Amino acid sequence: MPLPVLKRLPMRTPGVMAAKLLLPWGSACDAPGERGSHQLLAACLSRGCGPLDPLQLADRVEGRGAGLRSDAHEDGLMISLRCTVEDVDDLLPLLGWMVTEPHLPLDQFELERSLSLQALQRQREDPFQIGIESWRKLVYRDSGYGHDPLGVSADLENLAPERLRELSLRLPQGPAVLVLAGCWPDELNGELNELSGFRNWPASQSTETPQDPVFDWSSDNDVTLVSTAMETEQVVLNLGQACCDHGHADDLALRLLQSHLGSGMSSLLFQRLREEHGVAYDVGAYLPARAGAAPFLLHASSSADRAELALTLLLDSWRELSERELTTAEMDLARAKYRGQMAHASQTASQRADRSAQLHGLGLADDHDQRCLGRVETLTPKHLREAAERWLKQPRLSLCGPPSTLSRLESLWERRQSDDVSSRSS
Amino acid sequence: MAHFLEHMVFKGSERLGAGEFDRAIEALGGSSNAATGFDDVHFHVLIPPDQAPLALELLLDLVLNPALCKEAFELERDVVLEEIAQYEDQPDERVLQQTLTRACPFHAYGRPILGRPESLRAMTPDSMRRFHQRRYRGSDCCLAISGCGAGTLRQCTETSPLAGLPAAPSSSAQSLLELSPGRHCIEVERLESARMLMVWSGAAAADQCWVLGADLATTLLGEGRRSRLVARLREELQIAETVDMDLTSLERGSLITLEISCDPGQLDAVETCIQDELTAPEPFSSMELDRGRQLVGKGLRYALESSAQVASMSASHRLWGREQALLDPLIHLQSWSSERLQADLMQQLQPGRACTLIATPVGRS
Repeated sequence: MPLPVLKRLPMRTPGVMAAKLLLPWGSACDAPGERGSHQLLAACLSRGCGPLDPLQLADRVEGRGAGLRSDAHEDGLMISLRCTVEDVDDLLPLLGWMVTEPHLPLDQFELERSLSLQALQRQREDPFQIGIESWRKLVYRDSGYGHDPLGVSADLENLAPERLRELSLRLPQGPAVLVLAGCWPDELNGELNELSGFRNWPASQSTETPQDPVFDWSSDNDVTLVSTAMETEQVVLNLGQACCDHGHADDLALRLLQSHLGSGMSSLLFQRLREEHGVAYDVGAYLPARAGAAPFLLHASSSADRAELALTLLLDSWRELSERELTTAEMDLARAKYRGQMAHASQTASQRADRSAQLHGLGLADDHDQRCLGRVETLTPKHLREAAERWLKQPRLSLCGPPSTLSRLESLWERRQSDDVSSRSS
Repeated sequence: MAHFLEHMVFKGSERLGAGEFDRAIEALGGSSNAATGFDDVHFHVLIPPDQAPLALELLLDLVLNPALCKEAFELERDVVLEEIAQYEDQPDERVLQQTLTRACPFHAYGRPILGRPESLRAMTPDSMRRFHQRRYRGSDCCLAISGCGAGTLRQCTETSPLAGLPAAPSSSAQSLLELSPGRHCIEVERLESARMLMVWSGAAAADQCWVLGADLATTLLGEGRRSRLVARLREELQIAETVDMDLTSLERGSLITLEISCDPGQLDAVETCIQDELTAPEPFSSMELDRGRQLVGKGLRYALESSAQVASMSASHRLWGREQALLDPLIHLQSWSSERLQADLMQQLQPGRACTLIATPVGRS
């Protein structure tokens, strides 16, 4: 593939530049038995590249007070740099070298693998993490979104360093984008191939490009609930469903529903669970921008003795999405919050570079957000209800908490499922 | 009480019904939140510039005239109890609180900000109202506004309820932090890896030169792969998974914390290594010092990108009587030579002067 597409977003900052290099190789590309391989690869990229060994690389970044991260998320591998304008010349080449000339020394591979395994072990302390992972596994099973980007311990333990090297060779393949936001020296206004670090980007045609994440809609099975017993004070509830990708025509309607349900202290879940009933502290609705079937997920955690009421309120809120249309006031508020979210997410150079790279990675136009801001005015409550009808009719539930409470919640879930079947058939 | 009151403020004022403030702010495209710390409480709003005057009016009404109704009080107490339960379910949070309780047994910094269930149940709307009347006074309050057109809002504040807020009566000064050194071991349910926490006390935030020196020292020891403790424990010996060292700048005495997670079988090796690194440290090289100064200085510069952070830092400095520009503290950085760091800070960071807590999974101590 040719060089990454270069996008520049000049903006006033206190002399700060953010750079984001997005490659289309995320954890959804992890092969069976290799879950976590792309995150491990991402972590190893910052451990020596180009002319710099691991220590020299760390010295160059930390010695300039800069930040350099390399992470795999579901749909891509993102290398992020934040530095001040006077250090751009010294640091920006690192992003190119990390992709085209990573060293991947064995000792650093083993260290990163060990750190990943320990991080996975520590994640098991957190009932929220366990709840979300169980839900993810229930809904996405073995597809690309079915595991945390950090991976699965058994797969990581068996991953050979040679395999990571193979994966690294295809990093420059596929459509990539480099976004610069903030301030930078004038010399950077030239072509990318003039920049040290990117001159050796392979010009050959792609032999391998990532596939869009596959979600098997047809194999929806009868298992709708997963419970994980854990001796905690609260029960963690995750209720949701896989829905559409970020570029889908229904995405905007679902985003307005997410605003209505879970954005801010005026949101329905906050008001209903927290303000009216006091059954939860932390509630919300989650809808990440994804290339494939994104999760639409509601979450809450509640003490064992109040968890049944919390679950009932979550289920009622979910069902209402497709049963009644938002009022005019609710619709106006959802629109305002959507506009507010857009503004809040574009304050810093890093945020703007991140969003620009994400849109490019998803194959969406640079002005996608502006178009959505225009289109949001034309959507009606009917559109939102119809989108909910299409996407939000078969939620799946994950519970994590004390065993004695789980059985009561499971019974409640079964009753509600039966009621829903009865009401559909009558 | 301070944290519970922060929640109750959002339950409405004499003029605004419950939830009305949130709806109004979010309908304007803004967002609001609050946070209670050891020393102060922040209420903040992020709003488009043209809506700022209205948002300011609503915020001041909410904060200065909370309704504190009995029914809302009882409901919100349940929410705070849920918040406490949620923190209890996080082993990391439990270990940190256990450490602070042992490190500061006779000081407010040793008590959980969220409170304890029994003390929450003993509170009443009247006791909260008295607390509000006593604490939310003009001389105890600072309003900071950052962003486009911030200067034009000055006029709004001059005619706002803020202008008429009475000053706080002079109160007896709160006690300075005295840390209790020691070494403690506990077992914690559902812990998957071991934790070692060490806490030291230091000068109060008013001593900005010390704060910058401590920031530099914790950076040299614990920030980045080339910092001494990360390099030794995680990169070379590979006996720790995470190494975090932080300075919490506080008004009654700052806290420096070192937190390490590792396999329980590596605890002895980790503790020995930390003893070696802190007891007789090598002088910091000029390269180390340059690196540390860059990280501290640039970190402050990055924070200036966000108007929310600028407002937060400005408010904190002004509230506590530090009349300084946001980058002013950096002038102290150069005064911290290797010799001075050794004499004034590394001496303070001796293991014997710390409160150390070793937390292990049940049955693996």
